[in-house]
Amino acid sequence: MNRPASLFRATGKQRREILLPLLVGMLLLTGWHAAVRMSGSDIFPTPLEVLHGLVELAQRGLLLKYIVASLFRVSWGFSLAVVIGVPLGLVLGWFRPAFAALNPFIQILRPISPIAWIPVAILWFGVKDTAPIFLIFLASVFPIAVSSMSAVQNMQQVYLRAAQNFGLRGLPLFRRVILPAALPQIITGIRIALGVAWLVVVAAEMIAVNSGLGYLIIDARNAGKRYDLVVAGMVMIGFIGLILDLLVRRLEKFDEVRWGYGQR
Amino acid sequence: MDNVNPLIDVRDVWMSFAGKDPGQPVHVLEHVSFDVRAGEFVCIVGPSGCGKSTMLNILGGFLKETRGTVRVEGAPVAGPDPGRIFVFQENGVFPWLTVEENIGFGLLQRPHAERAERVQHYLQLVGLSGFGRSYPRELSGGMRQRVEIARALAAEARVLYMDEPFGALDFLTRLKMRSDLVRIWQAEHKTVLFVTHDIEEAVQLADRVLVMSRRPATVQAEVVIDLPRPRDLDSPGYLERRDRIFSLMGMDAHGGGELR
Amino acid sequence: MGKSLTVWGALWLVLLTGLHGFLNLNWFRGATTGSGGGSAKFGVGFLPVTCHLTCPVTDYINRSTSGEGFYEPMRFNGWPELKEMFLGRPQDMPAAFILAPMAIALREQGVKLKIVYLGHRDGSALMVHKDSGIFLTSDLRGKTVAVPGRYANQRLIIYRELKKAGLTFDDIKLVEMPPPDMPAALFSRAVDAIISGEPFMGQTELDGYGRVLWQAKDVWPGFISCVLAVREDAIRDHRAEIQRLVNGIARSGKWIDQSMEHRMDAAEFVAKGYYNQNPRLLRFVLSKPPDRVTYSRLVPLRAEFEEIQRLAQEAGILAGTVKFEDYVDDSFAAEANAQVALDFEVKK
Repeated sequence: MNRPASLFRATGKQRREILLPLLVGMLLLTGWHAAVRMSGSDIFPTPLEVLHGLVELAQRGLLLKYIVASLFRVSWGFSLAVVIGVPLGLVLGWFRPAFAALNPFIQILRPISPIAWIPVAILWFGVKDTAPIFLIFLASVFPIAVSSMSAVQNMQQVYLRAAQNFGLRGLPLFRRVILPAALPQIITGIRIALGVAWLVVVAAEMIAVNSGLGYLIIDARNAGKRYDLVVAGMVMIGFIGLILDLLVRRLEKFDEVRWGYGQR
Repeated sequence: MDNVNPLIDVRDVWMSFAGKDPGQPVHVLEHVSFDVRAGEFVCIVGPSGCGKSTMLNILGGFLKETRGTVRVEGAPVAGPDPGRIFVFQENGVFPWLTVEENIGFGLLQRPHAERAERVQHYLQLVGLSGFGRSYPRELSGGMRQRVEIARALAAEARVLYMDEPFGALDFLTRLKMRSDLVRIWQAEHKTVLFVTHDIEEAVQLADRVLVMSRRPATVQAEVVIDLPRPRDLDSPGYLERRDRIFSLMGMDAHGGGELR
Repeated sequence: MGKSLTVWGALWLVLLTGLHGFLNLNWFRGATTGSGGGSAKFGVGFLPVTCHLTCPVTDYINRSTSGEGFYEPMRFNGWPELKEMFLGRPQDMPAAFILAPMAIALREQGVKLKIVYLGHRDGSALMVHKDSGIFLTSDLRGKTVAVPGRYANQRLIIYRELKKAGLTFDDIKLVEMPPPDMPAALFSRAVDAIISGEPFMGQTELDGYGRVLWQAKDVWPGFISCVLAVREDAIRDHRAEIQRLVNGIARSGKWIDQSMEHRMDAAEFVAKGYYNQNPRLLRFVLSKPPDRVTYSRLVPLRAEFEEIQRLAQEAGILAGTVKFEDYVDDSFAAEANAQVALDFEVKK
């Protein structure tokens, strides 16, 4: 008696989570197509033209190349941001003098768009892969550092006191208590930062690299009337962004941090 | 243990905090003096916000008294000490560790086998066998408090400072926790200093109850509870001592069991 | 959690680095670019516009005749990035095709560079929407006109034409816009007129919504938009390489202008191999009309640059603090002309 009911609920849930977005997607695509047709625009592509553009890119082998290039740059820039941003944030959150000394500068640097850093990136790193990696690093290191910092500052005092009671101090205190206590909030920061990192891939690839999804968009603008490829680049960036977010969301399911996210 | 020199010796302790007005410090404790012998179970009761938790935090090494002397185990308190573990009202069990890992937290220096053995022993003592691999978020509030007590005991704490540890639990769980705590204390012979605002709880648990006044607080009276355990909550001896504490705090026992 | 994540993260990075190296950087394909002396190649910056066509053509000819180019054509997508690389890392990119007034402006600002050769002649047009009522320069009064940038010579040609029609910059609304965005802006009538180097002007014509108001070649014969600029350090230390580059450009310019067949060939391999554009578009701008953009007579001449400077000063773009000999070194051009003339003599 219970089984059919739960089975039915499962399909109901599936229907909600798969069919509803599909339906909305279809509506959006139809609306898009109709809008292009009705406006008579020769420049803005229809969904079908974008699909053709994607197929053409895939056939020329460019799609895979560009996806790999963008993922390569984002992965390195983002990993460096995690490796540097988390310890930096922990130190700033813990040591008041370090916070007092550095926080103003972090807050000044944080709102500067990566686009503004392009000249600096070219000056320091030329136009090889390191320049876009640097830009992606810059875009993602501040959200990570700031969220790690406030995670430590907002940590429940009782964990700290309990740890000190057991005689922990220095590095073991950091490793065994402060880091794990701050981890749920750090992971939330990391998730946001990955979104930002992926967001700036277009800007980062404005520099004269010759591969990547951001480059695809800029290159397609140079290529005359290839706005189907521009939109194809946008679509790919969107989809890969979605997949990356789903992957990072899995971090929140680990037993060590699940306590930090309430009842979901 | 030494019965002549007390294990905890508090002499004329004053404590004040900076208030909202810079020139107007808030005086929390004045002239607080008491002592606790080794192996004794002492409860401190007093109205909410009177400063009893502050006193416990001074003993735990988390706060520094403004004036006076605080000696524990023959030396002034210099800071938190692994031999004297605090059990927090808001539950200091680490949510990122399993129950076993929490209980073994103070034992990382020990060999693996010994650690496992102690963890199992205390898991059993607090009645959580079978929950070793669970995470705290999967346990009830009472079970989490048991984990914290087990963690303190496993680390071979000689003294337990308990700051209203059952305050957040429901009534039935609280009753069960009290009788379990007495059982565990009898088995382990630790020195326990237990802060509560629940007079019934204090009379059920303690060898001695220290009654603190309103703020600025001082030790107003001391009531010895020389009743055999487990205590009969309807016995005249129990009721007489309970009512004495109520009247010391300016209340009628029939007005209610707890003082807010 | 920590350990397994570190392992997976490291694996992910290694995998992507390997794939990127394999797919985009030609790592595991023998020593074609890796160790074979490729590191010594200097960069020459260019944009995918017809004003810079000789840069990829020369490289293509070098590769097909000697199997390898002696310089690295570095393609940029916009003027600011190209300029920043040229300024910031001259050791990597000592030469670049840049706008003529920009080169003079940089020299005024103290950048040690010399114009050694021209990139092209003509090759710009003022485009309006085919349905617009703009038929004369004077019709631009009150209209919005998009130019590639502050230091674009296209700005000066507009200034020159407005002056002829008795107008000034105050009579029109100038906006700066990256050339690739101009066709869409004209199509949507966001601006009334656009002007930049090809192929972006020809594209609006090819797609049927743009109309030529005038071609640069018709109103300012021999119009110069872009020049080859080289850092003075490189001129001093690598004279032979620079000469070789200028010779190559002179030779490929001559080759492009020699026949329509050559032009169509160039359109094909440049569109596919360098510009990533539709070959049809390049074929169009290189042939309709055939002298829309030309690649001969590329020696920098004093009178022409002085006119650019005079106009730019009038228009308030340049300060006029440098002279022709400060920013031009025509010795390479003279040598190249002699060489190339000889080459083509011999062939005939």
